[in-house]
Amino acid sequence: MSSERLLLAIVAVLVAVIVGVAVLWQPDAPAPAAPPTLPAGGEFTLQSADGPVSLKDFRGRVTLLYFGYTYCPDICPTTLSALTAGLAQLTPEERARVAVVFISVDPQRDTPEHLKTYVAFFDPGFVGVTGSPAELGELAGRYGVFYQRQPGGKDDAYIVDHTAETFAVGPDGRLLARMAHGTPPDQVAALIRQYLNQP
Amino acid sequence: MKRLSVIFAALSLSTAAFAGAADDVVVHEPYVRLAPPNAPATGAFMVLRNGGAKAVKLVKAENPASRLTELHNHINDNGVMRMRQVPAIEIPAKGEAVLKPGGLHVMLIDMKAPLSEGQVVPITLGFDDGSSKVVEVKVQKVMPAAMPAAAPMQHGQHHH
Repeated sequence: MSSERLLLAIVAVLVAVIVGVAVLWQPDAPAPAAPPTLPAGGEFTLQSADGPVSLKDFRGRVTLLYFGYTYCPDICPTTLSALTAGLAQLTPEERARVAVVFISVDPQRDTPEHLKTYVAFFDPGFVGVTGSPAELGELAGRYGVFYQRQPGGKDDAYIVDHTAETFAVGPDGRLLARMAHGTPPDQVAALIRQYLNQP
Repeated sequence: MKRLSVIFAALSLSTAAFAGAADDVVVHEPYVRLAPPNAPATGAFMVLRNGGAKAVKLVKAENPASRLTELHNHINDNGVMRMRQVPAIEIPAKGEAVLKPGGLHVMLIDMKAPLSEGQVVPITLGFDDGSSKVVEVKVQKVMPAAMPAAAPMQHGQHHH
């Protein structure tokens, strides 16, 4: 390679870096509501006690997705209680445009019937679904959800490590945000409102 | 929360089995989380205050409502909650250990029957010196305002 070509290549790289920085660097831009690294998310069809449930069934609504399991003594009930309390802050009109889907990553113990009773404790409108290990694994991959059964424990008494975030899906089915575990009810309500009122 | 504390304090009648660490540790605001009727497990939470001059370890817990009782902690690993059994919960001298949602808790595993709101579960706390203490713990529907991350407290219609 001649020194002229080498120089050209260096200049090209520098230009690319400068353009990249100019395009991506927005020091004055307001902090985005959603982290920029949201996973792809997307469609699914899983089983509830009342038949198959698909994400597209909730088009036009803000849908909150939570991946958990009913053996979970603390983290899942804490989140579901916070969602219940957050929804209680909405007007009936707003509430009617929100769905909550609890996706069990523990299909071995959580049957659709079991899930229905479990989620109804928090809100009779919540939907509990699960699927085959393969379906759940593929879906979790698209939502950036980690879950893993812990070694030890009997076959009916084991722990599952799992992502404890709640996913907010917009009326068009697009994944819009992740809420950290422990998000208080007023922030849940504010987030839902923000997405309900988006054009 | 204040008002709840008073209620909890009034409801938790602690009795020491015999002298020792159990005498130094006072239990505040204990409650068992009311779980869905078919939930196989739930958690008990409380603040353990040690008035003694040396550290005390809570090493076990027992209760008649579930077949198994274990001490657990949660590790928040970048958004992934990893619950782990712990061998002991240390209560520093003149200090406290806080068992709360998202962290340390007594896990009631394999419930014999669904718990109901207001029901009292006697939980026996066992300490490292062999002493123990029975705490009468009420089953509560946990309100999100009482959760650790809910810093701005919700008090109905009050404005601050």
